[in-house]
Amino acid sequence: MLPIAQGELVQLFRNRAVLVTSLLMPVAVAAFFIGYRDVFATIGSLGYVAAVLVFTIAAFSLYATTVTTLAARRQNLFLKRLRSTAASDATILAGLVLPISAIALVQVGLILGVFAAVGGGPADAVLLVPAILATFVMMLALGVATAGVTNSPEHAQVTALPLSLGVIAVASWVGITGTESLAPLKRALPGGAATELVVDAWNGGAPLTDSLLLLVPTLAWVVVAVAIASRMFRWEPRT
Amino acid sequence: MSTNTVIDVDGLDVTYGDFRAVKDLSFQVEQGELYALLGTNGAGKTSTLEVVEGHREATSGTVRVLGSSPRDRSAVRPRVGIMLQESGFSADLTVAESTRLVGRLTGREDSVERVLGLVDLTHHADTRVGQLSGGEKRRLDFATAVYGSPELLFLDEPTTGLDIQSRDSLWATVQQLREEGTTVVLTTHYLEEAQQRADRIGLMHRGTFRRQGTVSELTRALPAAIQFSLPPDAPAPPTGSVAQADRSYAIETFELQRDLKQLLDWADAHRIELDGLSAAPTRLDDVFRAIGADSITS
Repeated sequence: MLPIAQGELVQLFRNRAVLVTSLLMPVAVAAFFIGYRDVFATIGSLGYVAAVLVFTIAAFSLYATTVTTLAARRQNLFLKRLRSTAASDATILAGLVLPISAIALVQVGLILGVFAAVGGGPADAVLLVPAILATFVMMLALGVATAGVTNSPEHAQVTALPLSLGVIAVASWVGITGTESLAPLKRALPGGAATELVVDAWNGGAPLTDSLLLLVPTLAWVVVAVAIASRMFRWEPRT
Repeated sequence: MSTNTVIDVDGLDVTYGDFRAVKDLSFQVEQGELYALLGTNGAGKTSTLEVVEGHREATSGTVRVLGSSPRDRSAVRPRVGIMLQESGFSADLTVAESTRLVGRLTGREDSVERVLGLVDLTHHADTRVGQLSGGEKRRLDFATAVYGSPELLFLDEPTTGLDIQSRDSLWATVQQLREEGTTVVLTTHYLEEAQQRADRIGLMHRGTFRRQGTVSELTRALPAAIQFSLPPDAPAPPTGSVAQADRSYAIETFELQRDLKQLLDWADAHRIELDGLSAAPTRLDDVFRAIGADSITS
């Protein structure tokens, strides 16, 4: 897996278009939200700002980059090349997404660190960890699934958009309006329960048992996303 | 199946929806052989090759490669080198990085410098693959296939796009590997390459073998041809000669040497000079054309 990950990292840093999408764009969006945190805090809360930061990185750095990368590697038959070696499918896939995932995790750590430094830290940092990890695994799996219906990196700009914007919209809806109304619907949407977890972890005040219960729909979405990915992903280009 | 059988295909079927691309195909490849799998367009050889390489699952039938299922990558691939028909390298990695990556994933030991030297790409080691010519990409593909000297080597259209020096160099490396015991499975559209290099050939048409055997076994199915012209005052030509235009004649024969001698004896006896005399044994191209025209059936 590590040789594939190493090769992927090299390719990532040599491809300016991917670099801008996966590194610069989420950082720019995060800088905007952190800069105007007081405005957004009045609309929702600081927890809402934290949730939007998490989902912006998950949507662009992780999800969209995964879709683009896998579609590109399949289109130029790089996946077939890797599959002509002794590496298993799981090893190949893990090697391809490892650098993207690692970069996204470092990004979220740094950006939330800056946000905590300028706006005040989370009330429960421990609760943040499973919320972020579950969100990232879900988005990664959905990225693999979306790559299955994406023919080329150019096509990824279309196929990755609905879910990227969709999860940020869900995070904003849940983060701004809370779950006093329509709680079952909001928690059943992809990222809905995870957003509530991040908000609770950042703002504090929610009973721990309530927060732990939110892990159930959050992890359920992880399972669903992995199941969809295993059904939809294609190794070979359509002929 | 003998103990030396490297590839054993028995009753292979590959279907795509209602279309049966490969029909009940059976063949073996023995250790050290160079086996050429040839076919007309759409004959099913790519599907067959993909199953044998482990890239595609058989619809039915059994396929064993080096004693294991070709789908069992961890068991088979460390012993197998595959040169794909299309490169499949990342344009953003260099030649050395690509070779190192694929080489490490084969599970075999070798040096990047050695295999790049074999294909004369050492001077391009730090060049990105995207900047290579088509022929250079084929050479890179070959370099990764022979990394670590595999026991079994698949060559899918290996010389397409290569200049003559690169072709000679590639075949010299293949010959060296064969001397070390490597088994080779070749597909190519250059029939003269198969005719010169293959120990046995399987000729596919419409999903199945129409002929399988050595070059001489395959060409024995069609007659050789003797052609000549006679002067206007010459007597009637020997029996078996078929008149063409302008007093030209052709003899189709399965006994080329005997019939050619008879013709020359006849000409000598009548003191006749045979103009434009040519005698050509049956070539693989002729067999291939006959199969394509459905004049040879399995």
